[in-house]
This record gives sequence, C-alpha cells and structure tokens, in this order.
Amino acid sequence: MGTIIEAKEFSYCYPRRDNQVLKDLNFSIEEGEFIAIMGRNGAGKSTLCQALDGVIPHLHGGTVWGDIIVDGLNTQEVEVADMAQKIGIVLEDPEAQLFTTRVDDEMAFGIENLCLPREEIIKRIAWATKVVRLEGYSDREPTALSGGQKQRCAIAATLAMKPKIMVLDEPTSQLDPIGTYEVFDVIKSLKEEYGMTILITTHKSEHIAQYADRIMVMEEGKIVAFDTPQVIFRDARLLSHVAVRPPQVSSLAGYLNSNGQNIKREDFPILVEEAEEMIRSLMGGKKDGQ
Amino acid sequence: MSILDYHYGDSYIHRMDPRVKMILLILLTIVVFMISNFYVLLAMFALVMLVWKTANLPLKNIIGYMKFLLSLVAFLIVLQGLFFSSGSNPIILVHPIIPESVPVIGGHGTVYLDGILFGLILGFRLLTLVCIMPIFVMTTTIGETALGLVKLGMNYKYAYMTTTALNLIPTLQDEARVVMDAQKMRGFQVFETGKFMEKMRAYSTLVVPLVVGAMRRAQLMGVAMEARAFGVKKTRTYRDELNMRKIDLAAGVLVAFICVGMVYFNGLLGGWY
Ligand SMILES: Nc1ncnc2c1ncn2[C@@H]1O[C@H](COP(=O)(O)OP(=O)(O)O)[C@@H](O)[C@H]1O
Ligand SMILES: [Mg+2]
Repeated sequence: MGTIIEAKEFSYCYPRRDNQVLKDLNFSIEEGEFIAIMGRNGAGKSTLCQALDGVIPHLHGGTVWGDIIVDGLNTQEVEVADMAQKIGIVLEDPEAQLFTTRVDDEMAFGIENLCLPREEIIKRIAWATKVVRLEGYSDREPTALSGGQKQRCAIAATLAMKPKIMVLDEPTSQLDPIGTYEVFDVIKSLKEEYGMTILITTHKSEHIAQYADRIMVMEEGKIVAFDTPQVIFRDARLLSHVAVRPPQVSSLAGYLNSNGQNIKREDFPILVEEAEEMIRSLMGGKKDGQ
Repeated sequence: MSILDYHYGDSYIHRMDPRVKMILLILLTIVVFMISNFYVLLAMFALVMLVWKTANLPLKNIIGYMKFLLSLVAFLIVLQGLFFSSGSNPIILVHPIIPESVPVIGGHGTVYLDGILFGLILGFRLLTLVCIMPIFVMTTTIGETALGLVKLGMNYKYAYMTTTALNLIPTLQDEARVVMDAQKMRGFQVFETGKFMEKMRAYSTLVVPLVVGAMRRAQLMGVAMEARAFGVKKTRTYRDELNMRKIDLAAGVLVAFICVGMVYFNGLLGGWY
C-alpha cells in the first residue's frame, strides 16, 4: 500500500472564465482508501472528479496550475483514454454517459477498447451485471431504464474495466433509500473484495459515516477539511459553514442537548450503533437517578 | 417512438447480418434512383412495405410521415406540372390555363403532362427512400452497425463516431418534444392552431436550444467514451461475432436479383419522362 493519488498545488480555471474553480489543492490518497467528497453545489466536486482522470484539462480545455499524479502518471501528460485503465469515472449525468442501445453493449464498450479477448469480455460483463444487480436487463435499452437502474448501468460499464480507482460523482442522486443502500453496498464490496480505491461525491451523510475512511470537504474550490467522519461530523462550526448536513443521529444528539441534555460534542454519535449506546447510557443514567 | 430509433424486436430482419443489411440498404437506395417507371416504382414500394412488415415494425410510425410526404408529392406534381422545363418537346395537357378573353394575363399558363409524371415519380421516389432507411435503423443496434462497418473495412474510430452521432437524432427529437410540450403547457398553441408562417416562426425558435443541446450532448458523449478508454489502441476486440448465415446470403442474393429485375423491367417498360 502506498500513495495512489497526489495533488500538488493544483488549480484550475475553465476556458473563457476568469475565476479559479479549483484553488491550490494539496492532498494525497492512499491505495484502498474510501474517500467521500462533500460540499455545497458549485463547490467544485465534479470538477475535481474530472481532473482526476484528466478529462480536465484534456477535453474541457482551460488553464491548469500544478500537478495531479495518479498511480505514477501525471494527468496532464497522459491521454484520458490511457488514464481510463487506472481510474474509472462515473459521471454525474447518467443520461449523457449511456450511448449504446443495450445494457450489455454499454458494459462491453470499455473492455472492448482495452482489447481483452472475447471470453474475458463475456466473463467481465456477467460479473459486472451481477455486482450491480442488473441481471435480466441485459438486452434492455439503457434510456428505457429507471433513474437508479441507469446509474447502476453506468457504474457497471466502468466497473467492468476493473480500474484500480473508481471515481463516482453523485452515483445515488436518483436512487430511493433502498437503491442507495444497494449502491453503497456494491461500492463497499469493491473496496473490500477487490482493494479498489474509491472516491465518491454525495450528500448522503449517513452512508458516508458508515463507509468512508475520510471525508474531503470542499468550499469555493478549496479543500477546507480532510479528515475522518468522526472528526468532520462532530465539527459543528465547519458543517454549518459549508452547508453539509451531519448524520441524523448526530442531529438527534444536538436536539437532545437543546432540550436539556448535556452530551459532549466529541461524544456525538455518527453511526446508528453509537446512537444506540448513547441512548442506552442516557436511559441508564435516568434509572440510576430514580 | 421515432423512425430513427432502435426498435426492440426479434424478427428475421433484426437477426440478419448487419453487413448484408447495410449493403442491401445501399443497393436499394441506388436502384430507387435508377427507376423512372411508375409501375416499377410502385412494385419497389410494395417490396419495401413487405420488408417493413417482415421486420414486425409498427406501421403507425411511418403514417405520420406519409401524410406529410403525400402532401409533398402533391406539391411536386403541381409544381412540375406548371413549370416543367427539362426535356425537349414536353406533351402539353392544357394551354392556355387562363382564357385569351381575360385581359393582361390572358393566354398564359401551361400544364405539362411530362411535368405531372415527373413530379409523381420524384415524389414516390422520395416516399420510398424515406421508408427504406428506418428499416435498417430500427432493426440494428448501434453496436451491430459499428461492428458491421468495421468488418466491412472501416476504421473503428470512424465507425463508432458515425453510429453514435446517428443515435443522437432520436434523443434530439425527444428534446424538441419536451420543449414543445413545455410551451404548450404554458398555453402556447401556435404548434396546433397557428397559421403557416406563425408555425414556422415557432419551430425556428426551437432550433437554437436544440443545436446548443446537441453540441452539449455530443461533447458529454465524447467525454464518456474517452473515459472508457475509447481510442486507446489501434484495434479493438468485440464481444459479438458476426456470422453470415446461409439464409442471410440467400436473402441478400434474392433482393439483389429482384433489384436487377426491376432495373430490367424499368428499361423494358421505359421511363415515364
Ligand atoms: N463546463 C464548465 N464551464 C464553465 N464553468 C463550469 C463548468 N462546469 C462547472 N463550472 C463551474 O464550476 C464551479 C464548480 O462546479 P462543479 O464542479 O460542478 O461543482 P459541484 O459538483 O461541487 O456542484 C461552478 O461555479 C460551475 O458553475
Ligand atoms: Mg457536481
């Protein structure tokens, strides 16, 4: 294990704009980490995702300062298509990235570009289909799928290429709670079973608290915090400043405090299990007092 | 449902080798241009409709276009009938249209029989062509089309760029419909009840957002393709294999024979203008 992504004084400005959308980013990510990128709309999350696989600046143009090194390759020096073998990106808009007429064609496209033998292609499609649970939809038209199915189809299309790093830009924005759980479950298994490094942008705090190793918090193109969920979700001032909602169980602790409890900020629960413990101890305390 | 969108199905035409389909598409198009006898053209139209039926494609998709095309045929007949100019010594049906007794413009205007026939042929040729193209598009997936083009010798990058661009058309049609519906919901009725010029102006307002949308989409699609390693190697492998079955060859040869026969009868019966 070692560093797999490293940004050094990276800044970016879109063509024909005069303000930097990413400002002096410095960070490094270890192989196998599960990173969540959070921040309000327009903070630059999608732009950063695209900078990681070189879509920025190669396909969008604009001006870049500094470097991003992904698995030893400098994104500015390597073509996007070459980068695609190391880093897979699932774009924000599922409509635009599905361009074939069949679900299994969609999954085949990337691995065919990698020149894999036919048997391997078939095997990988079957695997990716199973991982995202789209069995039985192979011959459907991607545009005719539901929003959640489209997102899972887009994930599978990238997944089939088995990149070392998966970048997922709002992969659950169109999913219901169950679908969201399924996708996070899939992503978790990618990390645990295949050792993939995961970067995901999402607003779903509960899932991040449960799965992410670290949270990168962005505000106006800058990284304002990059730490574990335990630290980030307990930093009330930071959360309100960047308009990130803490997990509901944290809010519960805050609510209890406003109604007379005195739970310490550093003891705020972020996981359901921790909330259970908190409630048990609160109730236990009351019993003792009786 | 557009006539330029893949139409899910399992007919023989769907399963036919895309290379054969592609070659027949080109062959039929050329032959339609060669035919100038109305009866032979009608036979060709009947053949196309037969294939349409074999492919299990719903006829209602084409009927809307038919109405438009038939009015175009009528327009061409009138136009050519009145202003036919090519060909030597055209047969004159009526002359003058306006009696001599009318002052100033009296004694003018001619209706040419050749012109009417020419308009008829031109119109029906257009009608037939419009019915040929969708058969291919509606029964062949993007993947099959691209693979067929590659196997016919095209560079895979061009093959995919052209086929995915084609796939953009139905998407744009959908987008146009969305914009029109949005305008209708806000009480804009020109698309149904407006006068001709008003309708034209209303349609022209759709052009700019559609072109912008198309360019945005094309760019996003390019990003998505490259992010999946498109163009990384000189060649590419394919999950699907094309296998030219005997029945495909037979069907191809049969249609080719019919085409030759049509051109022969066209010569035998003689062109109509
Ligand atoms: N293609 C583009 N051209 C110019 N500006 C853009 C483009 N895409 C995004 N932006 C701008 O960059 C900023 C960051 O956007 P984005 O990365 O999409 O934020 P987020 O994903 O966090 O919502 C926004 O101010 C947005 O308007
Ligand atoms: Mg975004």
